[in-house]
Amino acid sequence: MTGTDARATALSLRGLTKRFGATLAVDGIDLDIPTHTFYGVVGPNGAGKTTTLSMATGLLEPDAGAVSVHGIDLWSRPDEAKPMIGVLPDGLHTFDRLTGAELISYAGLLRGMPKDVVRERRDDLLAALDLGSAGSTLVTDFSAGMTKKIGLACALVHAPRVLVLDEPFEAVDPVSAGAIRRILRAFVETGGTVVLSSHVMALVERLCDHVAVVGGGRILAAGTVDDVRGGVDLEERFVGLVGGQTDARDLTWLRQS
Amino acid sequence: MVAAVLGLKARVLRHQLRREWWRALLLLGGVVWSLSLIPATFWVQRYLSTEASDVRATLLVGFATVCVAGWLVVPLLVTGLEDALDPGRFASLGVQARRLMPGLTIAAALTLPTLFFVAVFLILAGSWRYAGGEAVTVASVGGLLTVALMVVTARVAVAWSGRLLSSRRSRWGAFAGLVVVAAGLGPAVWLTFRDGVDSALAYEIPVILEWLGRTPVGAGMAAPGALAQGDVLGAVWRLALLAATVAVVHGAWRANVEYTLVHPTFRGAGTRRRGDAVLDARQRATGDGIAAAVRSRSLIYWRTDPRYLVGAIGVIALPLVFFALAMPVLGLDQRWGFAAPVMLAASIGWGRHNDVAYDSTALHLDIVAGRVGRAVMTGRTQAVLVWAVPLVALAALGLLAWTGQWDAAPGLIGACTGALGLTLGISAVTSVLLPYRAPAPGQNPFGAEVGAVGASLVAQLVSGAAMAAALPIVTVAFVLSLTADARWGWLALVAGTGLGVAGALAGVRAAGALYDRRAGRLLAAVS
Repeated sequence: MTGTDARATALSLRGLTKRFGATLAVDGIDLDIPTHTFYGVVGPNGAGKTTTLSMATGLLEPDAGAVSVHGIDLWSRPDEAKPMIGVLPDGLHTFDRLTGAELISYAGLLRGMPKDVVRERRDDLLAALDLGSAGSTLVTDFSAGMTKKIGLACALVHAPRVLVLDEPFEAVDPVSAGAIRRILRAFVETGGTVVLSSHVMALVERLCDHVAVVGGGRILAAGTVDDVRGGVDLEERFVGLVGGQTDARDLTWLRQS
Repeated sequence: MVAAVLGLKARVLRHQLRREWWRALLLLGGVVWSLSLIPATFWVQRYLSTEASDVRATLLVGFATVCVAGWLVVPLLVTGLEDALDPGRFASLGVQARRLMPGLTIAAALTLPTLFFVAVFLILAGSWRYAGGEAVTVASVGGLLTVALMVVTARVAVAWSGRLLSSRRSRWGAFAGLVVVAAGLGPAVWLTFRDGVDSALAYEIPVILEWLGRTPVGAGMAAPGALAQGDVLGAVWRLALLAATVAVVHGAWRANVEYTLVHPTFRGAGTRRRGDAVLDARQRATGDGIAAAVRSRSLIYWRTDPRYLVGAIGVIALPLVFFALAMPVLGLDQRWGFAAPVMLAASIGWGRHNDVAYDSTALHLDIVAGRVGRAVMTGRTQAVLVWAVPLVALAALGLLAWTGQWDAAPGLIGACTGALGLTLGISAVTSVLLPYRAPAPGQNPFGAEVGAVGASLVAQLVSGAAMAAALPIVTVAFVLSLTADARWGWLALVAGTGLGVAGALAGVRAAGALYDRRAGRLLAAVS
């Protein structure tokens, strides 16, 4: 890969592999995510999406393979690569004895930002994500959607170049989802890169310009959304790739009349 | 329902054993150890049966008291009462506590410690055989009821302490109660043993035990004694009192199960904080911003998280037991008291050997931030020092005032600083190197995560061994200053302070480097 190519690729995964005991969760994934794209990663439950994204963001050490962010190897040069990424993991705890405002401040200070900048961005983020009243409430008392939003705020506070978001719209109400979509679109339009995983095909079709379908720890298809769906509905294509349910049994006993 | 609950317990155990083979070894070890104590129990039974009946009753009351106290305190101090049948797990099934309780009760009775104690108390009941069959029967019933009391008390203690610590108001109440008990215990023991062990055994202890024989704690053991002396009524009301107490405590357990079934695990109780305690925390102008943020965050946790509060209170246990129980009972010289603040410093430091795991998966925020290990470990250690230094200083001052040996001050300061610094340094390294699962945020601070025993054993052994190797270095000179020549104290001061500060700094530095190197493995290790 030449220097310019490396810069044009925001996130590059090479041969990523992860095994948990007897299960091969991620089986040698290669994926290049171009700069300035809105990239969706879709796949059935247990396909290895979260494991892949965890390895791509430095949260989980891969058994094999490499990750580079704008051409810089994440696992050998983390102090240069990690500042370029903002991460919203799914299903992890957060420091929930802090208030919403304190959590954003904490994330900002950890990124080595000066206090006055942190203060300004914290207030901006609380307002933009409609978390004003949540600023003084402990995160442990947040609803699931609010927790997602505060996690997103923590991922944004240091103005990263690449955003890696695991299920960012899960449990988020439509109004907030609209606000988040607006923020992410503006981010991509100005040259940023967003990678998000989701189960919701309609959302990916509407939001993303690129998509990768993951199944059984491998990439089944990747490219622009139009290329991948090849003339049909993305959901149809997805079911075709990962295989539909073989035993679609009728639960007659569940019928009410 | 009973069969379903017991079946669940058996299945959980079977899966655990299949997944982690060393668990079977622990279980087997427990069985062998318990069986090996049975012959000794028979020997005690024979010895007791030759004593006069009032002496026998008194000794048994003493034994029962120690056992009840143990069942009450051990699960609270050694936070590891593994509970596959945590009632919270039944919350979504819509089962009523009334239907759940018989199964939970029987499951609690079918644990190794319970069966062991049942065997011991039944064997000891045999020591009444020369007093007649009625006495043996009464002793057996009393013994079984006493074991029942121990089992339900342990459950209730763990459950209610967790609940007490979950709200701010009850937390202060619990803390005040603990202070009162601790403040009362010391003087009481010192008073009992003021004229030495022999005098206490001859005069004070029998009186205390006689009174304990009229409380539920010793009633089951005192009842056959009363019967043997022809006091049938005395035997009956003692057994009735004990049975009633077991019923009441069992009711408290049931009340807690009812509560747990309808209350989700701990939440923030609607606390609001207007200011930003992270951003607006005071810090030195030169301070590292990242370390300062971590310190502020850790301090909020030390103040508000029940899991941390339990850890902070736990460090007092060992020095308190030593000072208020062991010293007076063993009739140790006053100078031994100086060990208490050193023990306090060491248990504060050693207690932090799994510090990182208490973040649970929240530590992803630290990991994605880049190579910040050194700052993270610095901030954490500073947060501990914020409360540890005043606490140890207070204990040291108290000891100096109590003994009046102010010339021991330099050596004591050196030993305390050295113990605190070295153990904190060791703990910083082990908490990164060997983290094991801790209670997750919001869970009962007295619970242990299922599957943590093996990893926790290794981590505790390693950090304990490192501490045992390091402590003599900073305490030998202090001991010499008390026993040989006071001038050793100045060497203790210099060596302790120097090694303590250097140990903490080196530990934090090494832990920081390890943290960065193991960043991709830490999250998996603590979740």
